[in-house]
Amino acid sequence: MDKQIRRMGVALLCLFTLLFAKLNQVQVAQADKLANAPGNTRKATKDFSRDRGVIQTADGVVLAQSVPTDDTFKRQRQYPEKELFGHLTGYFSFTYGAEGLERAYNDDLAGRTAKLRTVRDLLSDRTRTGNLTITVSKKLQQAAKDALGNRKGAVVALNPTDGSILAMWSYPSFDPNPLAAHDTHAVQSDWAALNADPNKPLLPRAYRERYPPGSTFKVVTAAAVLEKQPDLATRPYPVLRELKLPQTNRPLSNFGGGSCGGVLPDLLKVSCNTGFAQIGLDLGGQKLSEQAHAFGFGERPPLDLPAVARSVFTDTDFKRDQPALAKSAIGQQDVAATPLQMALVAAGVANGGTVMKPHLLAELRDSEGNVVERANPEPWTRAMSSTSAAALRDMMVGVVNGGTATRAAVPGVQVAAKTGTAQTIGNNSHAWLIAFAPAEAPRVAVAVIVESQPGLGDNITGGRVAAPIAQAVIRAALTP
Amino acid sequence: MTRAHRRDTELGLLLLVAIITAGAYVLASLGRTASLPANIGPLLGMILGLLAVAHVAVRRFAPNADGVLLPVAGLLNGLGYVFIARLDRDLARLQTTWTALGIVAFIATLIVVRRSRDLERYRYSFALLGVGLLMMPLLPVVGRNINGARLWVRFGPVNFQPGELAKIALAVFFAAYLVEKRELLSDFGKGRLLPQPRAAGPILLAWGFSLLVMTAEKDLGSSLLFFALFIGMLWIATDRGAYLVLGAGLFALGSLFAYSSFTHVQERVRIWLNPWPHAQDQAYQLVQGLYAMGSGGLAGSGIGLGSPQKIPAAATDFIFAAIGEETGLLGTVAVVAAFLVVVGVGLRIALRAEQPFEKLLAAGLTMILGVQTFIIIGGVTRIVPLTGITLPFVSYGGSSLVANYVLLALLLRISNDTVERRLRAEGVHG
Repeated sequence: MDKQIRRMGVALLCLFTLLFAKLNQVQVAQADKLANAPGNTRKATKDFSRDRGVIQTADGVVLAQSVPTDDTFKRQRQYPEKELFGHLTGYFSFTYGAEGLERAYNDDLAGRTAKLRTVRDLLSDRTRTGNLTITVSKKLQQAAKDALGNRKGAVVALNPTDGSILAMWSYPSFDPNPLAAHDTHAVQSDWAALNADPNKPLLPRAYRERYPPGSTFKVVTAAAVLEKQPDLATRPYPVLRELKLPQTNRPLSNFGGGSCGGVLPDLLKVSCNTGFAQIGLDLGGQKLSEQAHAFGFGERPPLDLPAVARSVFTDTDFKRDQPALAKSAIGQQDVAATPLQMALVAAGVANGGTVMKPHLLAELRDSEGNVVERANPEPWTRAMSSTSAAALRDMMVGVVNGGTATRAAVPGVQVAAKTGTAQTIGNNSHAWLIAFAPAEAPRVAVAVIVESQPGLGDNITGGRVAAPIAQAVIRAALTP
Repeated sequence: MTRAHRRDTELGLLLLVAIITAGAYVLASLGRTASLPANIGPLLGMILGLLAVAHVAVRRFAPNADGVLLPVAGLLNGLGYVFIARLDRDLARLQTTWTALGIVAFIATLIVVRRSRDLERYRYSFALLGVGLLMMPLLPVVGRNINGARLWVRFGPVNFQPGELAKIALAVFFAAYLVEKRELLSDFGKGRLLPQPRAAGPILLAWGFSLLVMTAEKDLGSSLLFFALFIGMLWIATDRGAYLVLGAGLFALGSLFAYSSFTHVQERVRIWLNPWPHAQDQAYQLVQGLYAMGSGGLAGSGIGLGSPQKIPAAATDFIFAAIGEETGLLGTVAVVAAFLVVVGVGLRIALRAEQPFEKLLAAGLTMILGVQTFIIIGGVTRIVPLTGITLPFVSYGGSSLVANYVLLALLLRISNDTVERRLRAEGVHG
């Protein structure tokens, strides 16, 4: 029997060898494939369970933090300021991934980036999470929210000299807390409700929605004149009720049916459509397009948030479509801009023609409080010369001092601004205002949009609706 | 090797096992809650206590038995306990009781079976016992269906899987019967390639019986195990290769029958060949097990740091995948190596034994452990179709633990008797 027992031993050994070989296949050869398989939620759970840094405002208010819990994920992400910062922090959801700063700075918050790791960490297993301080203060964000109230729209305020965002508010907003919850079913139903809401609360209008900029775009057209064809700046344009356009029988009229004309500062002061449309025709599409792109149109602003929208200035064949050129010069037709982009236009004028890179990050610290990254102001685009910028600033001061934006005036501070009332589908208009202050040494540039104001009367213009909002935000920004 | 030496080796190894188990338990707790387990003192005491009691019993009742088997079994039992405790606190409490019961059964077996020859005498009682235990779940009142298989018996609050003990009873019967009928079974007559009908009777009976059990209880794993056990022992006893051929043929027939008759068998084969399209339904458990082991990789996530609770039945059939996730290839290879040691020692006991019955029984019992280990680990790693069966000593389960400790005691008894006889012979001659 010994012979057979030995043979059986060999047979069992063969079976066990098979086990060893297969284990090597599963746990070494195919390990990465299995570990990263879509159905394998281990990695996601681990990421979701690890400690995560704090996001706080410039004035030290906590926007996002992780607190320990007893469930599978060990930690619960909390957003104490709820919808006030919903579009900035975004959410960190097991079911729907991350959005906003949570997504843009995911690796830093999780402590996974090289800058947060030192040689010492190779030897120990502690996690060094990154803590984020942003340039927005709760005070100004709250001011923007209060000023806009329950009207759909957005407010963007930034420092034109360094590009730091000071406030960025879109209404309606959302509370990220339910989306970061651990009960999958509750998260799903909350997600479905947010997506079904016709007011689109999940949409960060301030940087991801494009609107026709209307007359605020006249700042760009004026910049094109100063930069590309300065002789037009001193040419008097006739006082007209409506401008006859080539290639069409439909004339272009002024807002509210008034008459206007004069030299460039006069045209900007009263937002003269006929004058600016003619300027557009005189300039030509090429120069207007170049100037729009010099302000950043057609490019994604390098703001540190995910999926920031490009603003659009479409290069149609303007020679064949002169009416389109005339309308583009007054910010209608196919021109579309985000509130962020229009704030950057104001900031460019304010900062001597240089548009600084917009950013939310003030500084990133490791869990021991050492600064690992700090915002470094960098120019984004050069929109115009400082001489042109100074001239344009003076024109925008004129808009506030007796023009369409008198309601943006702040006592004791010289504000420069431009209004806009962009017609949309039907008889609705978006009310716009872009501004900066103090005009002589700007510290804040603002863009405000209030969506879809009903009618075409005087009471829905940018000067009426948006200017007071911008005024409140500028006042709050300049009050220490 | 002197008796004192063997027992000292065992004691040393057992101490090592206690340290490893307690260490793994502390790691699991640190991984889960970043704190030392509050009950580490009593637990360590209990492990040490149980192992010490078993050790003292071996010293007293089988002093010359092999010194490696008990520590290796203790290691597997301890490691399994750590993972069960990490997965489910309530199951862990019960597993403590089962381990204690297992040790009691181990000692009782050593005491009751004073000589392995005693077993040979009661061969037909064992046959009856085995068949009876196997059929018990089919009885109306006590039998219970769990997870689609009718393998359980319920007495009051206790669920028991009698099939686990039946394996051992049948191995004892097979060994005794085959030794008795060896000559008849190996004599095929002149020029015949197949056994005579009279000799082939038992094998056909075993085949029919395992098919019957499978049909009635839907238990593929156990049927396969019985059949392999009987054919293997028959071949060892007779050295007739024809039995292996005949067994393979009958196995093929049986498989074919099972495949064509049962949808659950077809399903098992389908998800074995390609589990990925069924990852969310029928193959969920298998795929989750593979994910777990893949995520574990070479070194594992660390005990208490993985997510083995995602695998259904992680504490029982799939405990190997849980170990794979948290200890990696290093851990799984260690576990398989431990079973290889058990198989190696078991076969060495079989080889050294002098009585044919002891040889055959030791080989059969070792085969049960080896084949069962292969069936379940092979199922979890997708070498063979998955069949629900426990990983000896490691999986949660009272019946399995008690049965395997009894099996261990029988191997130690045979080992002890062999050495004792040799010592006596040397004493006489020297």
